[in-house]
Amino acid sequence: MISLESELESLRPLLGDPRTDSLLARERREVFSLYPELRICAWAGAMLLATAAGLVLKNNLDRIGPVALAMLMGIAAIACYAFVWWRRDRASLADEFVLLLGALLVSGDVAFIESQFHLFGAAWYRHFLILAIVHGIGAYVFHSRTLLSLAITALAGWLGLRGILDSGDPADYALRAFACAAFVLLGRLANRREEFHGTYEHFVAMLLLLGGLTLSVDSRWYAAGSLLTMAIAAAVVWWGFRTRREPFVLYAFVCGVIAFDILVGHIFDEGILLFFIMISAIGGIAMLFALHAKFKESE
Amino acid sequence: MNAADERARLLRARLAEEKRLTPEIAARLHTDWRTNGVIVQCVFFFLTCLAMGAFYGMCSVMSIPGEGVVTGIGALAAAEMLIRVKKWWATGVEIALWVGGLFAMITELPSSGSPESMLVLAAACAIAGRRVRNPIAGAVAAIFVMMWFERRFDLGVLSALAMALGAMLLLLRTWQRPSTEWLLIAIAIVMPVAGWFTADAIWRNVTIILYAAFAGIALVLALKKRHHAFFFASMIGFVPACFELGRLIPTPQELKLAAAGAFLLGLAFIVTRILKGKTTGFVSTKTRYDDTLETLVTITAAPAPQVSAPQPTSGGNFGGAGASGSL
Repeated sequence: MISLESELESLRPLLGDPRTDSLLARERREVFSLYPELRICAWAGAMLLATAAGLVLKNNLDRIGPVALAMLMGIAAIACYAFVWWRRDRASLADEFVLLLGALLVSGDVAFIESQFHLFGAAWYRHFLILAIVHGIGAYVFHSRTLLSLAITALAGWLGLRGILDSGDPADYALRAFACAAFVLLGRLANRREEFHGTYEHFVAMLLLLGGLTLSVDSRWYAAGSLLTMAIAAAVVWWGFRTRREPFVLYAFVCGVIAFDILVGHIFDEGILLFFIMISAIGGIAMLFALHAKFKESE
Repeated sequence: MNAADERARLLRARLAEEKRLTPEIAARLHTDWRTNGVIVQCVFFFLTCLAMGAFYGMCSVMSIPGEGVVTGIGALAAAEMLIRVKKWWATGVEIALWVGGLFAMITELPSSGSPESMLVLAAACAIAGRRVRNPIAGAVAAIFVMMWFERRFDLGVLSALAMALGAMLLLLRTWQRPSTEWLLIAIAIVMPVAGWFTADAIWRNVTIILYAAFAGIALVLALKKRHHAFFFASMIGFVPACFELGRLIPTPQELKLAAAGAFLLGLAFIVTRILKGKTTGFVSTKTRYDDTLETLVTITAAPAPQVSAPQPTSGGNFGGAGASGSL
């Protein structure tokens, strides 16, 4: 086991006694936080319970019947929300995951009701919109970023972004991704909760990059798609710098390099393409190193 | 990078996490090495592999003889240049060059398909990992060794757990280099998972006993020594033990999952309550925790129930709270 006690002692004049002592206590494991372990336990528990609920719906349809099952699932979900609401003033780490369980049960229940009763008929995908609204409201009521992520994903489902290239037409899929990004951007602009800004912005950036890259694999639109992806990547890199969040820079940069390689792949034959891929990767490393250093400098 | 530099880098990172890294302290802990965080390392690793793959492909297209050796020598030379001249360390580039370079050279060897080929790959990862002190490369080397044990003696699970247990016992020592500690942590956590893939159904009872024993030992060490690696190794050890045990119990799958889920959620709830207000010993104080992976898995597994267009009702599949629902 590593111990940095000697180094911390040598920094005592710079850190001050109280801070050094608290850091030393942690180093000696006199204070040891189980936060990550408890969080993983609670998360795994919620996911297992949600999966079990899904299996209950699947395996007991004939025995219990759809109405009773749907009601049972609904009551369980309401119980989860009520429990978290009841404990909102003394919420602990586990409450966040009871809320997640409630949201997952709602998702399963709404999907089950739609599949059994076909309330929306041919427009079955509209149930995603209900989920987006329910999870969105839940996110704001309970201050939950996870629920917001679920809401945005349900919104994407409503707009047809289900799985990779579900529609079969890359251009159509890209258009849906751009539309979804526009909706999420509107949400970001309307949002007044600072803790949600990052979630909205990451989804906007990723949806735009997804749309651009999808367009670039369409043989009709590869040039526009690749150039658009590079432009979006540049904008996301700029946003990352402006808001001082490096993950934006990293994934946007990689998407930009991939878009460049796709474009080159359509123009040159195999030998020259490989050369360009190599050059773009090496150039990418050099540029990213410079950007990363710039990021560190300004910290 | 020597041990003092590695320790300075670790302390700097810890103080930065605690927001206690003042310019004076940063100057005291300064090293000449250029390093990156884990996510940045992953990005550089990907880009370097892309460049190496393209170079290898280019050599093939141009019919250069011994493209593996050419790529390997070039990669190793570039890695050493970056380490010695540019002082790059744990950037993600050097490990990609070292591993990729050695693997490219291995492609030139005649393929016999014998189990010993696993040892060649293990040696490549171990050499690369040793040179750049990368824990992941070391853990991958251990996985190849385990695969050799599995193919040669059908002892995959046993060798994996033995290596993980050995790593945990070595973790009890005080190490100077953080990279040595990370290597041991990586082996202790990765090997039980890797070993599970080689578990045979006919040895189910033995598998359960071995994993339960491993998890129990890890839990005792965790409570006694207070190290996250022991806790995680214990959690990982209990998963195969409980999963395989569940297969032996003739109750509906949903009941077993619900019981396991309720137990975990309840455990977290109770332990959090017990630790509430505590300021020494075990506490549940919020620490820096990146929930990105957690959120990604959640939204991938759960939120978009795949309900298809209306069809005659005939059961369905709603695993993951409807995520996999299809009719």
